Amino acid sequence: MIARDRNWLLIFAVCAALAVIYPLFADGYQLTVIRDALIFGLFAASLDFFWGRTGILCFGHAAFFGIGGYIMALITLNDAIPFGSLLGIMGAVAGAAFVAAIIGYFLFFGGIRGSYFTIVTLAMGVICQQAAVSWSSVTGGDSGLIGIPPIAFDVGGMHVDLSQDLPSYIFVTAIVAVVVLALWSISRGRWGTVLTAIQDNEVRAAALGHNAPLRLLVTFVLSAAIAGLAGALYVCMAGLVAPDLSGLLLSTEVIVWVAVGGRGTLLGPVLGAIAIQRAQQTISSFNPSLWPLLLGCVFVIIVFVLPDGILSIYARLKSLFKGRRQAR
Amino acid sequence: MLPDTMDFVVTTLLNALTLISILMLVGLGLAISFGLMNVTNLAHGEFVTVGAFAVYFVQSIGGSFWLGLAAAPIAGAVVGCILEFAIIRHLYSRPVSTVLATWGVSLILQQGLELTFGLGAKPVTPPIEGTLDLFFTVYPAYRLILIAIAMLTLLGVVLLISRTSFGLDIRTVIQNREMAEGVGINTRRTYAIAFTFGAAIAGLAGGLVAPLAIVLPQMGVNYLANAFFVVIVGGVGSIGGLVAGSVFVGGLTSVLNYQISPSLAQAIVLLAAIVAVRLRPNGLFNGASR
Repeated sequence: MIARDRNWLLIFAVCAALAVIYPLFADGYQLTVIRDALIFGLFAASLDFFWGRTGILCFGHAAFFGIGGYIMALITLNDAIPFGSLLGIMGAVAGAAFVAAIIGYFLFFGGIRGSYFTIVTLAMGVICQQAAVSWSSVTGGDSGLIGIPPIAFDVGGMHVDLSQDLPSYIFVTAIVAVVVLALWSISRGRWGTVLTAIQDNEVRAAALGHNAPLRLLVTFVLSAAIAGLAGALYVCMAGLVAPDLSGLLLSTEVIVWVAVGGRGTLLGPVLGAIAIQRAQQTISSFNPSLWPLLLGCVFVIIVFVLPDGILSIYARLKSLFKGRRQAR
Repeated sequence: MLPDTMDFVVTTLLNALTLISILMLVGLGLAISFGLMNVTNLAHGEFVTVGAFAVYFVQSIGGSFWLGLAAAPIAGAVVGCILEFAIIRHLYSRPVSTVLATWGVSLILQQGLELTFGLGAKPVTPPIEGTLDLFFTVYPAYRLILIAIAMLTLLGVVLLISRTSFGLDIRTVIQNREMAEGVGINTRRTYAIAFTFGAAIAGLAGGLVAPLAIVLPQMGVNYLANAFFVVIVGGVGSIGGLVAGSVFVGGLTSVLNYQISPSLAQAIVLLAAIVAVRLRPNGLFNGASR
């Protein structure tokens, strides 16, 4: 376990170092591409924190991303509200957490687990998207809201303005690094151990005195809050918010990012998100309707060929070579 | 009661009945695969889509609606059979993988239909235009036919499960898979047939609804979410639960559709279903016995 921890920290350090030196080699456009990919990576890590630790698949995680995005947009677009950016981020995180708390309460304490949970959350994504479309007086309907200002605030006499490419890249990278590190330390500590126990056998974990529904609920709420944060960051960088951001396709894509990157690794999903978004941009430039088709194929391939994600190729090769050496 | 009110009540009831019968047909396949075989098939909505496209295709090459309606369950069955054979039978012990794989298949089917038939809604003309005078109100004749066909189909399924030896096999496999193997039932084949059968019924539902709905490659997902709630709300494992769930979801949707916009109505119905699941986790129908 300790050796694995060291490996994880090593990979994390290498990724962080690459992220730090990247601006030396990249122009402004490339920085914004990676920055947006990192935001989706944060979103993927938030899903992995719940799915990877509990084994319960949430099929409507984009709902929280979208809720965070809409709250951020509504607060920053309202000139009457002071400190729009900071309040917006806090509101987005709190709003997503609040919705997750209500839905999670009904589900976890109602004994809903496994496939049932997946289906209810799938419907939750549908609900959010349709609410965003039909509530057009607030959400702008199908076309969404545009003109969301970039993040800007004052902290302790320091003025932070993220309208430029480099500052916004640094800001996003720092947030992603801090959150991923925090999630990792939570999930490798006692909290994560108890979650693993609940995943293995909930009845037995409850018999040992763990309040399983409460643990699952808090984990779900935390996961949703981070998804909301990612949504808030995204709409400020993109300058717009649309119903798609809470829709089924995004919920689907985030699952692929996690599954490809390796479920339960937190870092893998971030890398998976970046890699697949690059692939998506390349493929969509040939034919936009080809992408969902390939996405579907990726799902099937993952299930049958790579159930533990791309990172498992390394582990498999290692055990293959080990096996050969021993055979000799 | 005033004649206007009477008219409104009967129309609402018939609208609800149309939706309820469609939901029952779609939900039936899910009750078999999800409720009984414990397979979460997220491609179930695409069986409905395939059925609707079968009617459109037959009409577009000059066939009649009724020929298309006959083709719809066949198309659903073919897709369902291939899906079971190629993917689902390998994943009976891996529930999360089944969810991912069937969702992948659903994306592939949607995009495949779009690439084959092109973008945009497909027109399907009903076999009968006009309305029927029902004493209290006038109502589109085709919708009445739809309700009748759906009810007859459901009756047929109930008879098939309760009266035939194949129905007995299914019930045995569901109750105890190992025991069923022991007495010589081929459980794999029974599962495959039951799954295909559910797909065929969903295809029929798609064919029936095609003249009323907007036929699009992406139409399946709306039926998918609703049908899952029919099964979950109603309670797993009985025709009574299926009826109860369909009445809950279909009835509420139809009534709300008069007051608010359809997408908001859909959202509220799904929220109500979540609350209902919390209050009665074993389903509306099973609540009393457990």
